[in-house]
Amino acid sequence: MESAGLASNGMGAETGAIIASPTTSTDGLSGLRSTALPLGLAAIVLAGWQFAVTIAHIPPVILPSPASIAKYIFAHYDILLMHAVPTTLESAAGFVLATLLGIAIAIIITYSQIAREALYPNLVFFQLIPKVALAPLFIIWLGIGSQSRIAFAVFIAFFPVVISTTAGFANVEKSMLRLCRALTANEWQIFTSVRFPAALPYIFSGMKIAITLAIIGVIIGEFITAQAGLGYLIIFATARADTEISMAAIVVLCICGLLLYGLVALGEAIANRFYSADNA
Amino acid sequence: MLAVEHALNVTAARVPLVSVANVQKTYFTRQAPVLAVASASLDVARGEFVSLLGPSGCGKSTLLMMIAGLEQPTGGSILLGGSEVKEPRREIGVIFQDATLLPWKSALENVLFPARILKLPIEVYRERALELLAMVGLAGFEHKKPSQLSGGMRQRVAICRALIHDPDILLMDEPFSALDAITRDQMNVALSEILETYRKTVIFVTHSIREAAFLSDRVLVMGGRPSTIVLDEKMPFERPRRFEIEETPEFVRVCRKLRLTIEEAHSGLPSPQGSAARERAGVIK
Repeated sequence: MESAGLASNGMGAETGAIIASPTTSTDGLSGLRSTALPLGLAAIVLAGWQFAVTIAHIPPVILPSPASIAKYIFAHYDILLMHAVPTTLESAAGFVLATLLGIAIAIIITYSQIAREALYPNLVFFQLIPKVALAPLFIIWLGIGSQSRIAFAVFIAFFPVVISTTAGFANVEKSMLRLCRALTANEWQIFTSVRFPAALPYIFSGMKIAITLAIIGVIIGEFITAQAGLGYLIIFATARADTEISMAAIVVLCICGLLLYGLVALGEAIANRFYSADNA
Repeated sequence: MLAVEHALNVTAARVPLVSVANVQKTYFTRQAPVLAVASASLDVARGEFVSLLGPSGCGKSTLLMMIAGLEQPTGGSILLGGSEVKEPRREIGVIFQDATLLPWKSALENVLFPARILKLPIEVYRERALELLAMVGLAGFEHKKPSQLSGGMRQRVAICRALIHDPDILLMDEPFSALDAITRDQMNVALSEILETYRKTVIFVTHSIREAAFLSDRVLVMGGRPSTIVLDEKMPFERPRRFEIEETPEFVRVCRKLRLTIEEAHSGLPSPQGSAARERAGVIK
C-alpha cells in the first residue's frame, strides 16, 4: 500500500485516543532531509557520470555526458515537446481506459460468481503470456494509428487494476454488510456508500501501477510503428547512432511519466480528503 | 387525543409487539446438521426490555438475528406487530458487538447513515443526530472520525445510529462485550438513561448475568443442548435504575438464580462421548 493516509482506512479502526492529538506531517527537519537525501544522491551520481565520461574519453555515441544531454534538451525542447505530446496523451488515454475496464471487470467479478469462476482463471492465464510479444498483433488488428497503441496500453495496464480493485471490494467487513442489510439497503447503496469508498486505497494502488504500465505500452507501440512520439524518436535516433537525442528523449519521457504519476497521486490525495480514516 | 393514545397503549400492551413461536434453526454443514436453536418461544410487549442470557454458542445471537430478519428460521414463526418477519425491516434497529462505523465518516455522518440509506430528509435528521450525540455525552465529538474515538464512544455512536430513524425495536447483540469492564458498566448506565428518554422495545443478547439483571424487565435464560429457553424471569427493580441496585440483596439473589439456571442447563449437556455414541446409533442425523 502506497499511501499511508488511505491505507489506515481499514474498516476495523484501531483503538484510537480519546482526544485527537493534532497529527502534524513530517516536521521541518526531517522534511528537508527526505528531499535533500535523494537529490544529493542523484547529484553525486550525475557528477560521477560527467566526470567518468570526461576522464575516460568515452565517445558520445556510447554514453553522452549529462551536460551535453542537458544542452541538447534546452536547445531542442520544441522538437522534444512535439514528440512528448502524443506519447503523453496516448498514455493518459490508455491509462484511463485501463482503469475503467479494470474497475468494471472487478465489479463483475465481485457480484457474479459465475463470471468470477469463468473469468478469473483466464485473466490470470493471460497474464502469463509475455504481453510484449502480442504488441505487433495489435498493429495488424488496429492499424498504425493511435488506437493500436492505446489498445495495447490498455491491454498491458488493466490487470493490476482488476486485481487490486477486486481485493478492495472484498475488503469490507462482514459486519458492515450485515448492518447495511439490516437497514434494508440495496446493492447500489451498499456499493456507493460502503464498498467503493473502502476499496479506494486499493484502486489507487492499482492505478499507480497501471499508469507506469500504460506508458510502457505506448512506448512499445511507438517502437513498432509510429510517425511521432518519444518512442519513435528513441528508435529513430538510435538507428542513426545519435545517442544524445535518445538520452534526451528518455529524460523527457521520465518527466512525462512523473507528471502522469503525479496526477494519479493528486487524485489520491483528493480522495484522501474525503475517505481517509484520519481527520483532515 | 390523550384518551385515544391511552387506549392504543392499552391494546398495544395486550398484543405483544414481538411474538416468537416455536422457532427452530438448523445449520446444514458439510458434516452433520447443527441444531442451533431447538425451539424458542417468547413474547415481548411494547416498551419492554428483554434480555437473552446464556453462554457462548447457546444460540441466543442466532435467535436475535432471526428476529432481525437477517437469518431465516427453519421452523416456527416470528411476528412483528402481527406480520411475519421475512427480511430486515426499517422498524428494527440493530446494534452489533462491533460498532461497525464507516471509518472515513465523522461520528455525525455515521449516525446519519441510516437516514441516508432510508432516504429521509437529512436536514431534519441532522438536528436529531446532534441531539442524540449530545444525549450520549458526545457533544463536541460530532466531527471526529471513529479512529479518534474510544471503544465506548464508538459504541455510543452506534447506539445513536440505531436510534436515528426512530425504530420501534432495538435488537442488541452483545453490544458491550468488546469493552473493558469499567466502560461496560458506564455503558449500561448510559443505555438505561437513553431508554428513559427514548422509550424503546429492546431485545438484548448478553452473556453477562449482571448486565442482563441490571438492564432488563425480563431475563430469558437460553441453554441446554439442543438449545431452548429454560427460564423466563421478571427483574423486580424499580426504574430509573442506578448502579446502586447492584449492591442490594435482591439483586444478588436474582443473579444467583440466573447463574444456577445457566449452570443447571449446562450440566445437562451430554458428554462428548455420549453424543458421539448417539451419532453412531443414528439418533442425530
